Amino acid sequence: MKFIPLFWSGIWRKPARTALIFFQVSVAFALFGMLQGLKTGVDHAVAAARADLLIVHSRLSYLAEPLPAGSLEQIKSLPGVKLVVPVDIFGATYQKPTQRLGVVALGLVKDWPSAFTYTIAPEHVSAFQKLRTAALIRNEVAEKYGWKIGDRIPLMSNTAQLNGSTNWAFDVVGTFSDSDIGGGLDTILINLGYLDEARALGKDTVQHFNVAISDPKQTATVADEIDRRFANSSQETKTESLLELAQSQAQSIGDMNFLIRAVVAAVLVALLFATASMMMQSIRERRLELAVLKAVGFTDRAVFLLILGEALLVCIAAAAFGLVLATLLLPLAARFVLGLSMPKIVVAIGLALAIGIALISAAVPAALAARLKVATALVNG
Amino acid sequence: MRFFRQFLGILGVNLSGAAQRSGSVLTIIVGVTCAVGVLISMLAMGIGVQREGMADVRADRVILNSTGTRGFQSSIPKNEAVIARDLPGIKRDADGASIVVFESLIPIEAHRRVTEVRTFFPLVGTTANFAEYRPEIRLTGGRMFHPGLHELFASTPCSRQFTGFEIGDRRSIRGADWTIVGHFEQGHTLQCVVYADIDALMSSFNRNTYSLVSVMLQSPADFAAFLNALQANPMLHLEAQHEREMVRESFKPLKGILDFASYFVGTIMAIGATLGAVNSLYAIVDSRRREMGTLRAIGFGSGAIVASILCESLLFALPGALVGVALAWAFFNGFSASPFGYNLRLAVTPSLALIGIVWAVGMGLIGGLLPALRAARLPVATALRAM
Repeated sequence: MKFIPLFWSGIWRKPARTALIFFQVSVAFALFGMLQGLKTGVDHAVAAARADLLIVHSRLSYLAEPLPAGSLEQIKSLPGVKLVVPVDIFGATYQKPTQRLGVVALGLVKDWPSAFTYTIAPEHVSAFQKLRTAALIRNEVAEKYGWKIGDRIPLMSNTAQLNGSTNWAFDVVGTFSDSDIGGGLDTILINLGYLDEARALGKDTVQHFNVAISDPKQTATVADEIDRRFANSSQETKTESLLELAQSQAQSIGDMNFLIRAVVAAVLVALLFATASMMMQSIRERRLELAVLKAVGFTDRAVFLLILGEALLVCIAAAAFGLVLATLLLPLAARFVLGLSMPKIVVAIGLALAIGIALISAAVPAALAARLKVATALVNG
Repeated sequence: MRFFRQFLGILGVNLSGAAQRSGSVLTIIVGVTCAVGVLISMLAMGIGVQREGMADVRADRVILNSTGTRGFQSSIPKNEAVIARDLPGIKRDADGASIVVFESLIPIEAHRRVTEVRTFFPLVGTTANFAEYRPEIRLTGGRMFHPGLHELFASTPCSRQFTGFEIGDRRSIRGADWTIVGHFEQGHTLQCVVYADIDALMSSFNRNTYSLVSVMLQSPADFAAFLNALQANPMLHLEAQHEREMVRESFKPLKGILDFASYFVGTIMAIGATLGAVNSLYAIVDSRRREMGTLRAIGFGSGAIVASILCESLLFALPGALVGVALAWAFFNGFSASPFGYNLRLAVTPSLALIGIVWAVGMGLIGGLLPALRAARLPVATALRAM
């Protein structure tokens, strides 16, 4: 306990220097926290993706190839399938070409929300089912454009109506949130029945089917069963769980691990030099004080620990501050990049790295301080 | 002149002491090296995207989309495409036919070798004269597709990156077998592109509209006349874009994301390096209080002191920039990456080196400012008493 005032006076001997090194370490760990948070956030979101929800889409492409709506009955008849919901997706814009929205049209099969990752209030579900031109909007979209329940929103798209117009209008009846990272932020849900009736082309086709299965352990079996059912037809399907889709989506971002490791390595190298040189500087200036400490009875060991302790205190406090900073900044970034979070493991790794940096950079200065000869130091100052 | 002599004198004194302060000097150099190295390596991705997209662009090629749409979403009725073939300014081949290619784009799934990661490649249905429009295509194996048959002609990056693209391999598309009959290189591109006969492809996908109409002009100067005729024709609902413009537009989002990430990380690292430089320079200046006090006492101006310390800071930052750029070049120039499934080679260019040096100058100046002011403001008596 008697060491604490000593640590404190050692640290604040040169306040400007300590403040600078503190901020330098903080900045480095804020960057570490954000990069690592991005990575682990994506990993966690992928791991949390539902394995028991299947998407049946065309074998050729998840994106552009429609399936006949009639396949629904065939899928429904297969064993293990609990619920099948037809889904069509098209792109639309609101007012400006840059304000893009994903429009998800879904068939109002009984109990349809259970085949999606959406969270919708029950009264919004029933309002959605009552009105043909109804739309549910994702919370983020509602916030972005200031849309409220009761608003009628005009959208433009390349999907033509029967009268040739490509303008559509929907009535907002509620909002929803989505736990899936692949869902896209700017999404609205509409009634597939209404879309299919009103559109000029592509009638009776859908982009994919959402399939909920009765036993989550049977995912692979049911998926194979569905694909076998359509094998060798002109509409071959590919059935994947949301988990598999999330995995391939995360992989397509690229080799994030490598990038993050390289950046973090560069940050740590620069930091190591900075803290080591600061500690050396500090020891050089304090020869006299350290010699006095020894003269009044501090052992070499105590002086060694004192220096090490100072470095540890500053580095850990600064790293913690940096990680807090990153945690505060992440929610802001989460508006642009989905699935960011700061799991405890990142905090733990960060603090461990801070301890490592402090120990490595303070080892040599602390050893020098411990070996200091009292007489020479007192004579030479 | 006097200022300049003083400035040089102080700088000489400063630098001669640098060897004794090697720890502080190294901190500045290493900090700047890491900040610049990371910034340049990351920006090299953005440059790679641009290079990859722009490498084969020609000024005499024009792409037509249906109004308000691009690429996969575009839908051009056959009658409009035929009219577009007779617009003025279009180059003609040896037989007198205009070099206009009709194309239909369909995104198809492929799987990477080893990792099995899923990506998409464009399957391009095209007319038989497509090689006249793309003279940069070079056959490297097998042959081109025959019109009317279910045959695929794939770029070599397809077989390098994905499974199932060897000559003779078959892919089941819409219930029919399509055979890979040839490989080609297309200019400098690293992307997988597959061409097939447009009529065979459109009939198997029940399509009746084209995605794109691509036109080769007699010369880039004919664009205005071509565009006027296009817009004057009430039958046509098409938008014309220079190839360069189209490529730039389609890569804008990817380059935007990569550049944003680069500058975001680069800025944070630069802040860290600047803080480190401030600390080191404070230490250096402090250790030289005696010399500074003496110089001030014999009449050296404070302007010369500030200038010389800023210059010293720059002289420590610049080697950092050069080493950073050199390391980025040594490790990452030509390095293959595929962010968001787009293949590119990182490119460390002279313009990036310049950005790195500007970045380092910024760190040096900002980092040197406070210590320099402190040195200049130090009261002479206090400084001399420090002896």
